[in-house]
Amino acid sequence: MKRKWTAIAMSLVTVASLSLTACGGGGGNAASGSSASSEADGKTTLKLCWWGNQVRNDATQEAVNLYMEQNPDINIEVEFMDWTGYWDKLSTVAAGGNLPDIIQMDYAYLKRYQESNQLANLDEFIENGTIDTSKFQEGVVESGSVDGSCYAISLGIQPPCMVYDKAIVEEAGVEIPEYPTWEELYDIGQTIYEKTGVSTCLDPSMNTMLLLARSYGGYIYDDLAEGDSKAVQKHMEYVEKFSQAEFCISPELWAEKDAANVDTKPIVDQTTWNDFPFACQMPTIATAAGREMGMCMHPKPADATAEQNYLKPSMFFSIAETSEHKEEAAKFIDWFSNDVECNKILKGERGVPVNTDVAEAISADLDDNTKRVFEYTEEAGQMTSPIDPPEPTSASEISQLLETITEGIMYGEITAEEATDQFMSGTAEILQEAAE
Amino acid sequence: MKKQNTPKKTFGQRLNQEGVAGYILVLPFIFGFLAFTAIPMAMSLGFSFTEYNILETPEFIGFENYIDMFQDPKFVNTFLVTIRYVIFSVPLRLLMALMIAMLLVKSTKLSGFYRAVFYLPSIIGSSVAVAVLWKKMFESNGVINGLLGLVGLPDDTAWLGGEKTAMFTLIVLAVWQFGSSMLIFLAGLKQIPVSLYEAATVDGANGVKKFFKITLPLLTPTIFFNLINQLISGFMAFTQSYVITQGKPRESTLFYSVYLYQNSFTYGKLGYGCAMAWFMTIFVGLLTLLIFKTQNKWVYYES
Repeated sequence: MKRKWTAIAMSLVTVASLSLTACGGGGGNAASGSSASSEADGKTTLKLCWWGNQVRNDATQEAVNLYMEQNPDINIEVEFMDWTGYWDKLSTVAAGGNLPDIIQMDYAYLKRYQESNQLANLDEFIENGTIDTSKFQEGVVESGSVDGSCYAISLGIQPPCMVYDKAIVEEAGVEIPEYPTWEELYDIGQTIYEKTGVSTCLDPSMNTMLLLARSYGGYIYDDLAEGDSKAVQKHMEYVEKFSQAEFCISPELWAEKDAANVDTKPIVDQTTWNDFPFACQMPTIATAAGREMGMCMHPKPADATAEQNYLKPSMFFSIAETSEHKEEAAKFIDWFSNDVECNKILKGERGVPVNTDVAEAISADLDDNTKRVFEYTEEAGQMTSPIDPPEPTSASEISQLLETITEGIMYGEITAEEATDQFMSGTAEILQEAAE
Repeated sequence: MKKQNTPKKTFGQRLNQEGVAGYILVLPFIFGFLAFTAIPMAMSLGFSFTEYNILETPEFIGFENYIDMFQDPKFVNTFLVTIRYVIFSVPLRLLMALMIAMLLVKSTKLSGFYRAVFYLPSIIGSSVAVAVLWKKMFESNGVINGLLGLVGLPDDTAWLGGEKTAMFTLIVLAVWQFGSSMLIFLAGLKQIPVSLYEAATVDGANGVKKFFKITLPLLTPTIFFNLINQLISGFMAFTQSYVITQGKPRESTLFYSVYLYQNSFTYGKLGYGCAMAWFMTIFVGLLTLLIFKTQNKWVYYES
């Protein structure tokens, strides 16, 4: 008798551990198996994933719930994470052919995913009206297009900007110009530090260099490919000039605070008074800091020859080529872009809605910060030049290289000139390798 | 108890054979090993000879990845960073583990409790939560600086941002997670016959002498085992660098495994990443072999 029980117990343990192992392996990959959704209950299951912060996660979840309420035959499973982990995860899932049906896409990755045939061509859905683009702002469909076909629908547009802590600026008694130059910012930073002790930062990342290149009428990746070092040189000089100044945040603190994530930006705990996000991040920064924030145009060089500003699609929705429910996914995207009620929930957190009617309809209900973002987007929209082409595949490696090299300047180990040389030769190597 | 072999057995009888029980018990492991270790390893070996950006079909390029490695300054740098981390963290962790084990080997009412408490950091050791906690503690306005300020020491060090201090915080974290080596040392210490110590006491040996003449030599097999284990896990360290410092500043804490990960998943060079993984596997394998060879020079086995 005892033996029998042992055998039964043993088989139970075996089964349990087998299924546990299976969970352990599959659990880490929650987005997998999207396309093979079960329709046993007559429902179509769509998978939707995005990167974001708490505010976006809550609002999007609420909007998704509303959609499921209105469309009882659709079940939407969501997954969200922060920016850094998102792309690593997405590429792994894509390798397994398990991309979620609806993917939040970024301008920087659009080309890479389109080139490797991961994204569904949306032309068909736009032509037959499943995705209604008639009320979209001009250029929106084009911004998600590669080689003349649309692969991504923009969810909002936003210009670059500088955000500043209003109270600190007022305390220092300085006036922030509407469109400052880097040279002016240098003087302002000095005054603010003398009056309040709060540091200034200059974002040494690719984003700043890209805008600098635009200020001289170029496109940074073309410049790099052609060996034109003008913008690079200027960028390195600014980084050097600012980091040598006493009023600038120390490299140690800059490395410690992570400006790539809203919650750890140095402006949030008043280590610095300024930050360089894209416009629609301003309300989130204000919430994280619990302080009032002002906005002005992203600084430009005094000798700028072209307009650096542009309206960037904040993010897109794309449909996976492997999706078995493209039609349903397209309907959801249509609703997400064109439905007023949905956008009242989303509150323009992904940037000013691309549907002009929707943007107007929700603007009355917005909180003050988001209202300011909408206003600012309108102002900046008056002076823009066309957006750069989507970034090349090796962009992430190049921006990592830039980070390391600018760190060298900030820690005082290399000069701006050495940094320029290192960066030019480093990118030449990366670009050449990518071209092979 | 063993039943006589009869030509035809029922299913229950078959199941009751001792061998069967063994196979059933190892089945989960074998399944897990094949599915999550052996097959992925074989695949990664295959990928290491290809150019593979994850999204497209891999393309065979022979040994190119392995050749490229040695012309990649970042590869060399991250390899040296990892070696530096291992050289400091492994001996310090073993030393710490041995010291605490010596303290806890005496049985008192609370020794069970202390053992559990000291082991705790290792259970939660490689988790992301601990890494985040560590990051918070060593922030410039974190607990560590707060404590230093309380006792009048300089409290404005940016531990994680300093080129010298960033690696230091990671090593301290590694040393703090000494629990599993400590348990093994404890077991080793308990196996040393008490009679040896008694004899030494009779001969008038003091504590220090007893430690160097009895404890240490008899503990060498345990030290050997711990050393190998910790070396391997040291080279595999990932979370600390990825979560706490992201390799900053100036890639001074960019571990080999993190660079491998970046290549594979961020830069879209999975083939190169796989080649890096195999280089490390071979390197650690050779290192382990080397230490095994030196065994008879310093490891003392009784009998």
